Amino acid sequence: MPPEAVLVSHHFEALGTGCSLFVVGRPRDSLVGAELWVRRLGARFTRFASDSELSHLNARAGEWVDVTGEMEELLREGLRAHEMSAGLVNIAVLPSMLAVGYSRPLVQGPGVATLHAVESLPRLSDVLEVHAGQARLERGAGIDLGGIAKGWMADRLCESLGPNAVANIGGDLRAVGPGPRGEGWPVGVGGRTLLLRDQGSATSSTRRRRWGDMHHLIDPRSGMPARSGLEEVSVVASTGFEAEVVAKTALLLGPEFAPAYCAAHAMAWWLGGAA
Amino acid sequence: MRVFLLKAAATVLTLGATVASALYVTAHLKNPAAPLQPPVLAGNGSTVGALGGQLTVGPSVHQSDVEPLTSTYAS
Repeated sequence: MPPEAVLVSHHFEALGTGCSLFVVGRPRDSLVGAELWVRRLGARFTRFASDSELSHLNARAGEWVDVTGEMEELLREGLRAHEMSAGLVNIAVLPSMLAVGYSRPLVQGPGVATLHAVESLPRLSDVLEVHAGQARLERGAGIDLGGIAKGWMADRLCESLGPNAVANIGGDLRAVGPGPRGEGWPVGVGGRTLLLRDQGSATSSTRRRRWGDMHHLIDPRSGMPARSGLEEVSVVASTGFEAEVVAKTALLLGPEFAPAYCAAHAMAWWLGGAA
Repeated sequence: MRVFLLKAAATVLTLGATVASALYVTAHLKNPAAPLQPPVLAGNGSTVGALGGQLTVGPSVHQSDVEPLTSTYAS
């Protein structure tokens, strides 16, 4: 076994969750710069701050709004996720989130639920248009990027951290290169250690961010928190973004269809618990 | 006469190519040994019980006994 290369790690809290960065053969400064990038984008992508870029877009539904390059790219990825998942991953989920009471960070307690307002989500392409530097939401629509932003950020970080690195943003991660020992990056998935190399992993769950009978993972077909028969799904795929999309889609499909779906779209998967 | 021969030759050549192609395609309708994408569909994946669920690992991912540096988790 080759000697272990010098591994540098950096851990921090951002986006309301824990983040970890690992790199081989690069200075720690690059990891601190990456943390600042995460914080900067997190401040623009959050729906909980009224002055964020996302809140600005949501508040001006019905108008064309100028967006930054990162926001444009993430919105396009949202459209791609919608296509990949046959509509099960839908970033236009904000109205349902608000209706079930997820109107502020849960550390502040849930908001008031208005379940009579809950309805199935529209097709994303019917309510979101993206042009170069601009985006437009239909009136009444709203975006929440929490479902895809972390995996996307992990992928972007790994592009900047060099050829041998891991970026883990709240459990959505990307691993590139051979790792510190040359056999892949050891990553925990479903209680086991898997060696990932140029792959991503993500977990979708109804076990976290719960309040009462509610949780944050909305099924677009009903507009209500998902009750598919699965509680948690972890996936290994080509990228962190794809892993996030596949994990959420599998969880929403439930135990009957998730195994076949994962077999077609993932490299490894863990299906956990009956809801 | 020369024009007729050229037309006849072209027709025979075309029909021959069509028949040969059809025979070839029929004989090679599918190759059972062709690799499937993703490779896990080939049935090489292993499934084990883990943490109250089922973990399936395809052949493109290797397991290890070492402690993980980091993990995927719900947040």
